[in-house]
Amino acid sequence: MHTDESVNAYITGELLAGKSFHYDPQDRHGPALFVLAEPVARLLGANNFSGLTESQLRLSPVLAGTATVLLFGAGVEMFGFIPCLVAALLFAFAPLPLYYSRYFIHETLFVAVTLGLILSGWQALRKSSLPSAALAGFCAALMLACKETAALHFFAVAVALFVCRFAASRHFGMPGPVPARTFGILTCAWTAPGAPGWKIILAATTAFLFTFILLFTWFGRDWQALPDLVRAIPNFAARAGGEGHQKPFWYYLKLLAGGGSGGIIFALAVLGFFRARGSASRLFLAIYALLIITIYSAIPYKTPWLALNFWLPLALLAGLAIEWIWFATTKLPVRAAVLVSLAAVGSLIAQDTRQRVFLHPADENNPYAYAHTVEDLLRLPPRLAQLARQENLAQPRIAVVAADPWPLPWYLRKYSQVGFWQPGQNPGAADFFITSPEAAEKLGDKLKNFRPEYFGVRPEVLIILWSPWDRSR
Amino acid sequence: MKNVFVLAVLFAVATASAEDMVPLKTKLPPPLFVGTPVPINVPNLEPPQHGKRPDFMVPKGTVNLALNKKVTSSDSEPIVGTLDLITDGDKDGDEGSWVELGPGKQWVQIDLGKEADIYAVIVWHYHSQARVYRDVVVQISDDPKFEKGVTTIFNNDYANELGLGAGKDLAYIETYQGKLMDAKGAKGRYVRLYSKGNTTNKLNHYIEVEVWGKPAS
Repeated sequence: MHTDESVNAYITGELLAGKSFHYDPQDRHGPALFVLAEPVARLLGANNFSGLTESQLRLSPVLAGTATVLLFGAGVEMFGFIPCLVAALLFAFAPLPLYYSRYFIHETLFVAVTLGLILSGWQALRKSSLPSAALAGFCAALMLACKETAALHFFAVAVALFVCRFAASRHFGMPGPVPARTFGILTCAWTAPGAPGWKIILAATTAFLFTFILLFTWFGRDWQALPDLVRAIPNFAARAGGEGHQKPFWYYLKLLAGGGSGGIIFALAVLGFFRARGSASRLFLAIYALLIITIYSAIPYKTPWLALNFWLPLALLAGLAIEWIWFATTKLPVRAAVLVSLAAVGSLIAQDTRQRVFLHPADENNPYAYAHTVEDLLRLPPRLAQLARQENLAQPRIAVVAADPWPLPWYLRKYSQVGFWQPGQNPGAADFFITSPEAAEKLGDKLKNFRPEYFGVRPEVLIILWSPWDRSR
Repeated sequence: MKNVFVLAVLFAVATASAEDMVPLKTKLPPPLFVGTPVPINVPNLEPPQHGKRPDFMVPKGTVNLALNKKVTSSDSEPIVGTLDLITDGDKDGDEGSWVELGPGKQWVQIDLGKEADIYAVIVWHYHSQARVYRDVVVQISDDPKFEKGVTTIFNNDYANELGLGAGKDLAYIETYQGKLMDAKGAKGRYVRLYSKGNTTNKLNHYIEVEVWGKPAS
């Protein structure tokens, strides 16, 4: 379990135990993931933190990833059959979405509801559909309740719609905006005959506010979350500066273009970008992709799972390229060659997926395994159990002393007598100590009769298990 | 008078011995990471090395006998690099300087060409990040199969996972200074080094191994 996954697991465990969610403006995201994860885990038999398993937790992102694949079926009207088919296949089989669709973090759910917002929002504006507008508001609230970076996506969607407003009326022969009936940023879109624009906006806003308040206050139990969300803004602004995760502008492009298949998919997406014309929805897609990639690339703080946000428009753009190639080739031998080429690309994708998702998911050379917990740490729980048996301890007292103990709470969840201390604090007596190398120094003679044993936590990060040392053995 | 003579002889022998001992001089590569701070004053933990390692005294004329010598391994087809990198004199931690052997228990063996008196072995497994290699055992023998006449000079396999006997040496964090193991003048032609993965992955790495000694007289 990655450190972030273990933190999310702990929160889920707290909810399973009957506690309510409290939004932490310092270093946490919103409650949306847990709204899904808690009932899923409970359905699978978990009722507290110690009873949770990786599978129970990771089923939630699997469901979100599956929902994204299925949602492309609802996008055929907006983007076309072939682009949606290609995007669905890429989400189902390509290494990046597959890898993070079993990572218990917010990203997969975030991407699913982003697609939901785009599809329902488009329907609402094109067909003046009130249910679609409400659904769009619901999806937007879920996005914000997943991650605060939703604001970046709202901006990108708004700008893309604004550009489409002019392009639609000038080039696509579609009805232009109706300023008298609409207001605000959504005047950038156009509406077909149907519900008045103000009703569309009202429906979306009402659904957004209702869902947003319901989730962040944890169904009315924690109203402090709303001012906390405002207080979180400076924290996230500071985090955008990097906080140890700063990477160059080209990081995401290199990540997406890496592997045997990444370069080809990326090249197809670039081709699709330049072929994204003929309809406002495709133009919207191209502009949205350009904006969201540029915004995320310009922010120094970067992690590989954020690239999933680009995979959504890039997969569709790659689909546009394949659609264009398919219809540009009418002769049978050429089409046969196209099919063979696509099969070859599929084979490359399968190889990348096998390597990165299944064979080496935690390898430090895997670009998706970012500061991932190394396999070495999996040896810690059985080693502790073995030592406890040797010492005839049914419930050993374990003192963890480290500035950043995560993900140890996850790996020690089966033990009832585990305490966590910061370096410099006195943990008292214990049967076993687990310390960072720095913290060990401050424990001094307390460790005199203990044998040290190193374990890897992440690349560059080590902990030491101190067990009673019978030197006569 | 007799006592004075004995003392004078002992003094002369001691002085001569001291004059014959010189510090082992090996060239260190540049450090690649600042490193996880190694604890200070912690009982039972490998003492830290701040700055240069204290001088290790060896008899005058001691040289690195392993330089450019033939290396064999339990993994004859390394995942990355070639076995000759282990004795090529390059101790840099960058890619291209190390050999990566398969997962689990693996060994490398250096053939010194002929029997030697060995005073120290220095090993650099990997020093571009803070790591601990598991179950490090270093043995010296005249038998290329290491079935007889084996001298173990270092063993931190406390749980006897390698089946070579439980060791009492302590685990240590890899650094650019390498790990110096006192061979105490053990005689042998072959030096074999075992390990079983590390705290980052299950693979085994070697940048360089130096065997400091003198051809047996």
